[in-house]
Amino acid sequence: MRIVSSRRLTAAIGAALGAGALVTAFPFLWMISGSVKPRSESAAYPPRLLPEAPTFENFAQLFGRLDFGRYLVNTLVVVLISMAGVVLMAMAGYGFAKFRFRGRGPMFFLVLATMMVPVQVTMIPTYLLLNGMRLTNTLVGVAIPGLVSGFGVFLFRQFMSAVPTEMIEAARLDGAGEARIFWRIVLPLSRPILAVQIVLTFIGAWNSFLWPLIVADDDRLYTLSVGVSLLNRQIATSPSLQMAGATLMVVPILIVFIVFQRHIVQGFTLSGLR
Amino acid sequence: MKQPLAPYAFIAPAMILLLVFGVLPILVALPVSLTDMNLAGLADWSRIEFAGVANFRELVADDAFWQALTNTGIFALLGVPTVIAVSFAAALLLHRSENRFFRALRAFYFAPAITAIVAVSLVWGYLLNTRFGLVNHLLSTVGLPPARWLGDPVLVKFSVALVAVWRGTGLNIIIFLAALKTIPREYLEAAELDGASGARKIVSIVIPLLRFAFLFVAVTTVIAWLQFFDEPFVLTKGGPLGESTSISLFLYQEGFSAGRFGYAAAGTLVLFLIIAGVTLVQLRGRRFDADR
Amino acid sequence: MRRPGLALAALLLAACSLVLAACSGTAPAGGTPGELTVWIMGDSSARFEQLVRPFVDRTGIRVDPVPVPWDSVDQKFTTAVASGDGPDALQIGLSKLRTFADSGALLTLDDRTLREHPGLAAANFLDGVSPGGDPVSVPWVADTRVLFYRRDILTGQGLDEPPRTWDEVRAYARILAGRGGGGYGFHIPQWDSALPVIMTWTMGGRIVDDAGRVDFDTPEFHRAADLYLGFHADRSVPADPDFDQIQGFVSGATPMLVSGPYLAGEVASAAPELDGKWSVAPIPGDATHTSLLAGSNLGVWRSSGNRDAALRLLDYLSQPRTQLTWYELDGQLPTAKAALNDPELTADPLVSVYARQLRDARPLPPVPNWDGETGKALLDALNSVVLTGANRDTALQGLYAATGGTSVN
Repeated sequence: MRIVSSRRLTAAIGAALGAGALVTAFPFLWMISGSVKPRSESAAYPPRLLPEAPTFENFAQLFGRLDFGRYLVNTLVVVLISMAGVVLMAMAGYGFAKFRFRGRGPMFFLVLATMMVPVQVTMIPTYLLLNGMRLTNTLVGVAIPGLVSGFGVFLFRQFMSAVPTEMIEAARLDGAGEARIFWRIVLPLSRPILAVQIVLTFIGAWNSFLWPLIVADDDRLYTLSVGVSLLNRQIATSPSLQMAGATLMVVPILIVFIVFQRHIVQGFTLSGLR
Repeated sequence: MKQPLAPYAFIAPAMILLLVFGVLPILVALPVSLTDMNLAGLADWSRIEFAGVANFRELVADDAFWQALTNTGIFALLGVPTVIAVSFAAALLLHRSENRFFRALRAFYFAPAITAIVAVSLVWGYLLNTRFGLVNHLLSTVGLPPARWLGDPVLVKFSVALVAVWRGTGLNIIIFLAALKTIPREYLEAAELDGASGARKIVSIVIPLLRFAFLFVAVTTVIAWLQFFDEPFVLTKGGPLGESTSISLFLYQEGFSAGRFGYAAAGTLVLFLIIAGVTLVQLRGRRFDADR
Repeated sequence: MRRPGLALAALLLAACSLVLAACSGTAPAGGTPGELTVWIMGDSSARFEQLVRPFVDRTGIRVDPVPVPWDSVDQKFTTAVASGDGPDALQIGLSKLRTFADSGALLTLDDRTLREHPGLAAANFLDGVSPGGDPVSVPWVADTRVLFYRRDILTGQGLDEPPRTWDEVRAYARILAGRGGGGYGFHIPQWDSALPVIMTWTMGGRIVDDAGRVDFDTPEFHRAADLYLGFHADRSVPADPDFDQIQGFVSGATPMLVSGPYLAGEVASAAPELDGKWSVAPIPGDATHTSLLAGSNLGVWRSSGNRDAALRLLDYLSQPRTQLTWYELDGQLPTAKAALNDPELTADPLVSVYARQLRDARPLPPVPNWDGETGKALLDALNSVVLTGANRDTALQGLYAATGGTSVN
């Protein structure tokens, strides 16, 4: 009896969640449908959900008139470089979580403080620094300001605090070096948070707009975000073209996410962390 | 303690990057805030003059600054509780089952968080348009009058916050779900056998066990909303009548559009201190213990 | 011990990143001899490349256009000024000209600099704008505002001729709004700070006094403000700040509006079936028919190592022939007088209206940061009456106070 009612409840919750998911996802459906609408339909009122005469002309324009192919490649490279940051953040998180050392408190406070610094203020000093380091106009320069975030270090430290200290001590007694302990014991145990961080880093790098725009002297280094904003003309804009650009940005990341999601879920299930 | 250098080796790379790209800029802002630096001064440093606390004085007297500060406060009051409540509720419901359907649903709830504001703002702009938007069209089909979602000085705050909530919950759902996974199902099942009702179960078992997740989500969400920028910037440019201008947007406009870097730096320091103050209050007495 | 291992890992990571960066290819920086980096606003850079191809072929100077989003030009420009490294030449929206000129980052285009380039002489162009002293830019593309009207809808209400004075516009708008069905008569975009200024000009007034100070406390501006607010009082214009111009015009909700040539292109592509049912007319006016001169100029970066090449490019771009080609490619109107008189251009009835209007058009006053300060204060004052029912006189007093100290010098 109890099981039946519990099942019923689950079904009810599922239905509610399904309805919620539709609402949440609706802007995406609208965007995708808008991206295949010809220009004449995009201004139609009342708005129609589905295009009458779907067309891929908008996408053709993006790749033809604008260099969206190149922007796509650049975006992928920035994503790849950014993955190095995940490892750096994991290392720092481990350092803060499992060692006691001089200056740990103040340094961790600095990590937290970086989360509170408004981005706008960092723009000019960071640009001057990158310029001084001759990193402007490189994809490294595009990726490096966002490589490490206080948020990420914080998250890693919190989760790694729960890695049993006994396991680390035991490994040390067995003569394992610190690097080995980190790679072989701590990182594998941190798989769930690692998965979360990889996804977060992917999202951040994929959507990066500010640094590609500022650091690049050349549109050879622009990313998709910058490309989409190029479509914003001062006054007039073509909604269909914009929707196509937006679709191009959103759909690949959705696919990556859906593929990766299973791994994240697995990571969660494997974890014994709290 | 056996290897005193190891911890430094672990934290050094990340620390250096954070110091250079996170801490240094705010240190630079301090001296800049005491000058009249503008675009010309930026090009030629000899044209910068020391201004003392004039920037701060002007800030206090600037109605636009107070309007932006008030707006930010309203945004945070609207957004933070909503984001936390919605993400927790969604996570709790999604946690209900492990079956395929529920797992697939997760992607829908996470999706808004992974999309760039540049892209989604366009969509929301069209959906919320007063005259030609889909939302008002749907309202009209059930006989309701159109609302000026992005055009009414009061309503605009809710609309902009709505888009930010839509985009802001996904990440927190992930965090709550991760935390929920750590509660052994036996706890909950045992409570069920004891006859604990759903609501009581949540209040007495789940929430205390998720203390840390809640604190973490609260701290990061508050910071995010105090730095609120993207949605008003792309959806309304701060309008109408400055009613959706957040403090970050105000500083951006003063700094980059007006080229008043000294003034913007002063405002940035004020914002930084506000954020730091609020965060410290949240953390007080609830230490993030490293070795539990 | 194993610490070196850790360091090695970090090194490896760094190396990987560098290799990746190397693979992706570092583009040549601006200032490469023989190659000009040119900032082009918006998404026109591919067409710009096409435009300059003959120049490249003839001179051997390569041109690398870099598209810059309109929304982000401030960030891009500011960081370039901070580092001193900019493009060789750049497009400058007129509303940004004063800010850019004040930065000192642009090359002064005095007579001596332009001696070798007679094509760049100011007399060749529409009256441009040169804030504070020597010019730092030359006109490039022109934009103006004219009256767009839906002939089919106006005729349907017995209005056979487009309105010529603001009183007529207002009367027409009332009639058109009387059609019912959610229709309006006219559209006042609440983000357009130029419209109230145009209204003031056409009342015979000015925004800037003889001393170069912004002054809104004039009888002509008062009449312009009453006109602006009068449309709203009549309820013949939509009061939504996010009302869409194109959809409004195409759907017929707002059969008259004041806009630029870009709108014609957008309407033509969004609603080809309306072809022939709409047209444009000069800006209505009581005392004058003066409209807005907007558009973009071109400037040369002061520290550019390719100054001469950049000036040669500007010279090429200012040729009437080049500007006509640019109109064909990108739909942006020329600034060279000779090009504007070219029959190739004026054969198109719409364009002949634009070209005529451009001869009676003025730029916005070159105050620092018009969009962010003076223009915003102007719009906020008027729209606060519209949106929140604020008192007209209080709102205008606030406007005088906010803009009183602003000067074009």
